[in-house]
Amino acid sequence: MTTTVDTPSGTRPSRVVPVLRLHLTNRWTTIGTPLVVLALIWAANWIVWLLIVRSVGADDRADAMEGTQFSGAIFYIFVYMMVVAVQAITRTFPFALGFSVTRRDFFLGTALLFAVLSAFYAVVITALSLIEEATGGWGLGGHLFTAVWYGTGSPIERFVQILLLFLFFFFVGAAVAIVYLRWRANGMIVFWVAVGVLGLGLAALATFTNSWPAVYEWFIATGAFGVTAWSLVVTALAALVGYVVLRRATPTA
Amino acid sequence: MIATLPAVSTDAVVETSHLTKRYGDVTAVNDVSITIEPGRIHGLLGRNGAGKTTLMQLLTGQDFGSAGSVSVFGHSPVENARVLQQLCFIKESQKYPEDFRPKHVFRNAPLFFDNWDQAFADRLIADFRLPVNRRIKKLSRGQLSSLGVIVGLASRAPLTFFDEPYLGLDAVARQLFYDRLLEDFAEHPRTVILSTHLIDEVQNMLEHVIVIDEGRILLDADAEELRGSATTLAGTASAVDAFTAGRDILHRQSLGSLAQVTIGRLSSAERREALEAGLDVTPVSLQQLVVALSGEGAKTNRQEEER
Amino acid sequence: MIEDGRPIFVQIAEQIENDIIDGVLPEEGQVPSTNEFAAFHRINPATAGKGVNLLVENGVLYKRRGIGMFVASGAREQLLARRRAEFSADYLRPLIAEAAKLGISTHHLAELIRKEEAGS
Repeated sequence: MTTTVDTPSGTRPSRVVPVLRLHLTNRWTTIGTPLVVLALIWAANWIVWLLIVRSVGADDRADAMEGTQFSGAIFYIFVYMMVVAVQAITRTFPFALGFSVTRRDFFLGTALLFAVLSAFYAVVITALSLIEEATGGWGLGGHLFTAVWYGTGSPIERFVQILLLFLFFFFVGAAVAIVYLRWRANGMIVFWVAVGVLGLGLAALATFTNSWPAVYEWFIATGAFGVTAWSLVVTALAALVGYVVLRRATPTA
Repeated sequence: MIATLPAVSTDAVVETSHLTKRYGDVTAVNDVSITIEPGRIHGLLGRNGAGKTTLMQLLTGQDFGSAGSVSVFGHSPVENARVLQQLCFIKESQKYPEDFRPKHVFRNAPLFFDNWDQAFADRLIADFRLPVNRRIKKLSRGQLSSLGVIVGLASRAPLTFFDEPYLGLDAVARQLFYDRLLEDFAEHPRTVILSTHLIDEVQNMLEHVIVIDEGRILLDADAEELRGSATTLAGTASAVDAFTAGRDILHRQSLGSLAQVTIGRLSSAERREALEAGLDVTPVSLQQLVVALSGEGAKTNRQEEER
Repeated sequence: MIEDGRPIFVQIAEQIENDIIDGVLPEEGQVPSTNEFAAFHRINPATAGKGVNLLVENGVLYKRRGIGMFVASGAREQLLARRRAEFSADYLRPLIAEAAKLGISTHHLAELIRKEEAGS
């Protein structure tokens, strides 16, 4: 066979950016809906704070509002993005293959999507956390975007921390979906059993070596920012596993 | 736009050698060695489950072969952007992103198909009356097929695969598809592989025919060669037997003193002779030929040969 | 209509021949393009091209570069001569065979033909 039908390399642009644009076709799904829900969560919280402020005596008010810093209300948006990641794999991947995209370009374009969305939401949430501080907790001393899990450090630290959290949920969600795509139900069983065994194994190890206090201390010493930074290891591993497994995945069951 | 495939090229577009795909105990594609010539409309014919879709998935790099080799435009299609960017594979079971409407598909298509013709796509959308703003999940089976057909035609990919593209399409829409395909093919020659079991409808459009059954290639020939390659003779058993004595008989059926026999090609002199002998002479259509080749009887014969 | 059993390109060539014999396509007149034949008959353009080329080889049609296909001078006479030569084999012999089967003598057959002609 000769290769005379080869196209000049100039006509072979990468499909990474088109894949990103494909994912962003429906901005409502990736940006509109999450922001609206975020606004609703904020409004609901604000009403609850108002009720607390009205019903609690002035002495206990500060204590009560202090409790909101353990809020997990915006955790929703991370879960939502995990679902976005799962659908990108289970629905958009077979579609992209139908549009003659390589698995490699699909993965890179999807990773680019995760990076773009993570950066966007990190900016939004960091900005909201700063506003929250500047307005004294939206006028009521409430915490939504300055919960202790994130959003207590410097603006840069907050941004990085939220960015890493988003990346974690995106890539872990995608990795699980990729395992499902390739091995279906059996893959899921093996995967979750493996995760369970690993978790129990580590817990047992900590128990038998009496190292729970040390583990505890490590978390305290590392701090919220440090722990989030360590999540990058899991994120990178998920990305790597996702890439390797996806390269041999097929669009059909 | 730079033409990505010179239509004048005589190199094979697709070449497979002993290509095999096994899923556990099932061999979906079995020792397939075929060559697809450029600039032709090929029919990939066979019953449901014969291996048509699997073969096309192997040719488009969507699935991985268990043995043998595939070469498309001279290279393996698997993860090969240079090859894949010249392909368009319209699959009957194509999945779409959850929130997509047809307009979203058309908005993205130009990003992925270098030869995409939006004006042509718009004309086809009108022809097929496709509701572009309806959620794809809400489309009828026929509308879903129209969507695929429009993408496949307007992409003008140098190598286009249509896998059972007309499910749920009514006769009018199917005819529209055939007409538009022929018109556009005449103006923009390319290689088309059309998998179907509606053989009667498409047989006149095909230049080459590949018949697959149980993963094996049963027939791989030019459509014109196949026309008239088999003839059915009917009449009294004695007349039929006298005429067919010494010939290869593909199929024989008898009822009392009447007999019906299918034999190979007849020259016009032989045809005349048969008519003069008082026999009914009917050509065997491509559809009947495929049925005869992949029917139950043929299957038993093959299994016996294998033993 | 395209019928089963015989190559399509032969049938296309025959249809063009018929149109020439009937005078639908006059000598030195242009014939439709290959793509027009293909679209009209819903057949593969390559097959239509093969039918047209068959007639070019036989000198019935000729190509004017960049313009199209035209019916050659004398094509009609050429086709008529060939059809006449084939008439006996194509029409008479089957007729006689069928007549024999029905017990119609050659004499009686000739009479039937005359009667049919007079009646119509």
